Amino acid sequence: MLSTQAIENIKKAIAKYPRKKSASMDALMIAQKECGHLTEDILLEIAHLLEMPPVQLNQVAAFYTMYNKRPVGKYHIQVCTNISCSLLGSEHIFQFFSKMLGIKKGETTSDKKFTLSEVECLGSCGTAPMMQINDDYYENLTEAKIEEILKTLK
Amino acid sequence: MATVKINGKEITTEDGTLILDAARQAGFEIPTFCYQARLSRLGSCRMCLVEIGGQKKLQPSCITPVLHGMEVFTENETVKSARSSMLEFLLANHPLDCPTCDKGGECELQDFVFKSGPRRSPFSEWKRRFHEKDEILSPIIVKNHNRCIHCERCARICDEVVGVSALGGIGRGAKTQETSFWNTTLDCDHCGNCIEVCPVGSFMSLPYRYKSRPWDLKEADTVCPYCATGCQITIGARNGEILRVRSKSATGINKETLCSRGRFGYHFMQSGKRLTKPMIKKGGKLIECSWDEALSAIKQRFGMGRKTAGIASARLTNEELFVFQKLVRDVFKTNNIDLDSRFANKWVTSAMVDICGFGEGGISIFDALKADTIFIIGSAISDENPITDYLIRTTASDKRKTLILAHPRRIKLNSSATISLKYKPANPGDVIKGIVNFIEKGKDKAEGDIDTAALRFKNASNITMFLGADILRLDNGVDVLKNIAVLKTLLKKAGKNINCLPLFDRCNQRGAINMGIHPLFLPGFKKTEEEGMDCGEILSAAKNGEIESLYVLGEDIVSMYPDAGFAKDAVSKVKFLVVQDTFLTETAKMADVVLPGATYAEKDGTFTNQEGRVQRVRKIISCVGDSKDDLSILDNIGGFGYKSAKDVFDDIKEEVPSYKDILFDALNNAGVLVNGQGAGVMSHESGVRSQRQEAIDDSEYPFQIITGNHLFHSGRLSQKAHVLVKLLAEPFVEISDEDAKELGLSDKEVVIVKSKEYEAALKLRMVKGSQKGVAFIPENFDSVSVNLFYKKGKGIPKVKIIKQ
Ligand code: SF4
Ligand code: SF4
Ligand code: SF4
Ligand code: FES
Ligand code: FES
Repeated sequence: MLSTQAIENIKKAIAKYPRKKSASMDALMIAQKECGHLTEDILLEIAHLLEMPPVQLNQVAAFYTMYNKRPVGKYHIQVCTNISCSLLGSEHIFQFFSKMLGIKKGETTSDKKFTLSEVECLGSCGTAPMMQINDDYYENLTEAKIEEILKTLK
Repeated sequence: MATVKINGKEITTEDGTLILDAARQAGFEIPTFCYQARLSRLGSCRMCLVEIGGQKKLQPSCITPVLHGMEVFTENETVKSARSSMLEFLLANHPLDCPTCDKGGECELQDFVFKSGPRRSPFSEWKRRFHEKDEILSPIIVKNHNRCIHCERCARICDEVVGVSALGGIGRGAKTQETSFWNTTLDCDHCGNCIEVCPVGSFMSLPYRYKSRPWDLKEADTVCPYCATGCQITIGARNGEILRVRSKSATGINKETLCSRGRFGYHFMQSGKRLTKPMIKKGGKLIECSWDEALSAIKQRFGMGRKTAGIASARLTNEELFVFQKLVRDVFKTNNIDLDSRFANKWVTSAMVDICGFGEGGISIFDALKADTIFIIGSAISDENPITDYLIRTTASDKRKTLILAHPRRIKLNSSATISLKYKPANPGDVIKGIVNFIEKGKDKAEGDIDTAALRFKNASNITMFLGADILRLDNGVDVLKNIAVLKTLLKKAGKNINCLPLFDRCNQRGAINMGIHPLFLPGFKKTEEEGMDCGEILSAAKNGEIESLYVLGEDIVSMYPDAGFAKDAVSKVKFLVVQDTFLTETAKMADVVLPGATYAEKDGTFTNQEGRVQRVRKIISCVGDSKDDLSILDNIGGFGYKSAKDVFDDIKEEVPSYKDILFDALNNAGVLVNGQGAGVMSHESGVRSQRQEAIDDSEYPFQIITGNHLFHSGRLSQKAHVLVKLLAEPFVEISDEDAKELGLSDKEVVIVKSKEYEAALKLRMVKGSQKGVAFIPENFDSVSVNLFYKKGKGIPKVKIIKQ
């Protein structure tokens, strides 16, 4: 169940658009901010608010990697492995993370601190290889840089 | 107009024509996957790429319109190699498990690859694999995600045509699955249109699974036996067993779509419960006998004149019904003949014939839908006539059009309606009166929905009205139709073009009326010399012992008559009852002689749908056991000497002027609309009698019952089709969510529905936006027969709903 605050915010988002379902992405983000990840029930609730078929809302949610369909840790590490990043060694970056954290693709560390995901192009090819942790971009990655970054994540 | 050259051939088409269509007109086939004429354009599969002179990149012909002077190549080497590459990409992930795929032999991917595909694949990577075993997605759908080519036909047809929006592509790229919301069991309309449009074996029919190979099936094109939309279906049988019903693209008015009844409602024919031998009552018991014994009993014992009567089902063919009325009129010498359907009294049927202008000939639904304003009243059309609902939905997606939908229940089509009007079941006339009042008073400011609707009528120039079968069931139906006639005249006077079409729930209802299954007129609407009795009057007379012989053809009146108790009592008083049917119905159980007839797949003939379109019914299997086709049975009793349906049709042409120009043998999948018959249609204006006003509200029994067909059922016939029973096995009571809340009731809870005389326990369904004070119960079940709530002469039943 979404909180009344979240529902309020979704209604505000709806008001911005000529058609209710245009607010899908906003609404999903609002819900995710509140619940951490999106579940069947939450999607049904949002679809109801947006007066749209639930399957069409799930199409949006499932398409974008920024919407979590499973619980994620405190830090959601999203490594881009698309073309540009891949040419500049993102595979290696991913493996490095995997080894450091002891988890595989899509998994979360047992202390619920880190989740490691592989994502498609994040539109920052010029600074490849890159990744996103929660809402922030980290660019021109190297092993040393990653070790530094991980130290700052408490 | 644009003149273009396609593969060197010059062709002139209208501006805006797609290259694909222009090429087809010029006789060049271009393969397509994502393109479907009636669906929104996607342009994603790139199968239809063509080369346009002067342009470097190939263009998808399904979304590119022609331009004057354009030169297009659809068959050159560049195009051919692009086509082959597109197929190569599709095959990169396709399992190629054709030997175990139900689609093999009629798969578009298989066909295109065979014709224009690569002969080997350069890909050595693993193919994507969602699952090892196919998934059961619903009682009718089995899904193989591995085979999907992502043309999105399934999701689009479900959303844009069916109006359910149950499917979508979930995921991204090659990992996308076309499935339900959470990939869990579908709770949808179960129409199977997603199965039909899927070009590959991804969506598959569960009832047909592993039953046959397409080339082993014997197929015949015929007409759906359920509602009067008159969809074209293709039945496939193997070794005399019906294995599936499918629909062909661009065929019939349904153009490849069907509803669950049409597609999955065929099992009743071979249900094992069919009557296979004639029966005769001896010592109070029905025992099997020979045809000779049964028929000679009828010939000897069936009376003549006033004390005899015949009641027929509107599911029989024109030819059978024509012969039946001949038997009743010429041999039994009576005009006591009527249809079963919804037991309209004779004046309501006549008024319907008048207002819909049956004598003026058929109206194509496609012409009718060209109207700028469409008005529907008296039909839960999404349940009753699903494919008419689809056609209207696609039309109404053009926002320049107005769709006004008036019905007590909120139905699927409401979401496409511009204006939704509500009324209490007994008083559809109120809506009409409101509209007439607004227009007559010359108002132009709308207060409330009825006014808004009236304003739309005022501003319309071309109007189509659909009048539903609910009206036929009302005791005050004549008054409602009179109101509509007033509105029609008013709009006509204002210079508007206006068409009226009926929405009937039995496949051949219009045909039956044309054939003179009516106590007031003969075939071709010729007035009878003496007025006969309608179904209700026949039963009343029977109850008083005034009907000695009754012939019931194909209908279970004891179950279906609204006031089932009365009907049973009345029928029991008939001295000699003959029932000709395919099952041992409640009525048949009471008969003195039972004659086993045939289903629509076991005979030839024609049906006339609600538009007035005559279509061929074709025989595909032989009659079960010793049963016989109905025509030969009737012919034998009457001694008319007809050899075939065509033989009868020749006589129909003589007697029914509007059928005169129809050639039986030339009838194809498009059917033929009946002509106007010119003079000779009796007008009922003067004869039409108003029956009785409906009772006013009763505060102790605040709900008015409305009944009709459920989407998965039709009459009592569909109860014998096991797939349909799987979809819905029991009746329920549906009320508005407001009412449910007030009564403290919740969805799916079992409640007691109680009238003064009868009560039943039913599961509750609540619907947001239905009229308050209305309880809908489908009429399709023997288990709780809604017809027991009806009491003859008391109109719409009033009930209360209480917690169990
Ligand atoms: S069966 Fe009909 S309603 Fe159900 S998903 Fe398929 S197209 Fe949609
Ligand atoms: S399931 Fe069939 S119809 Fe649907 S996208 Fe896949 S191939 Fe097309
Ligand atoms: S809409 Fe009517 S005619 Fe068409 S398939 Fe359904 S029941 Fe049959
Ligand atoms: S490919 Fe990694 S950001 Fe574009
Ligand atoms: S048919 Fe033209 S792109 Fe699919």
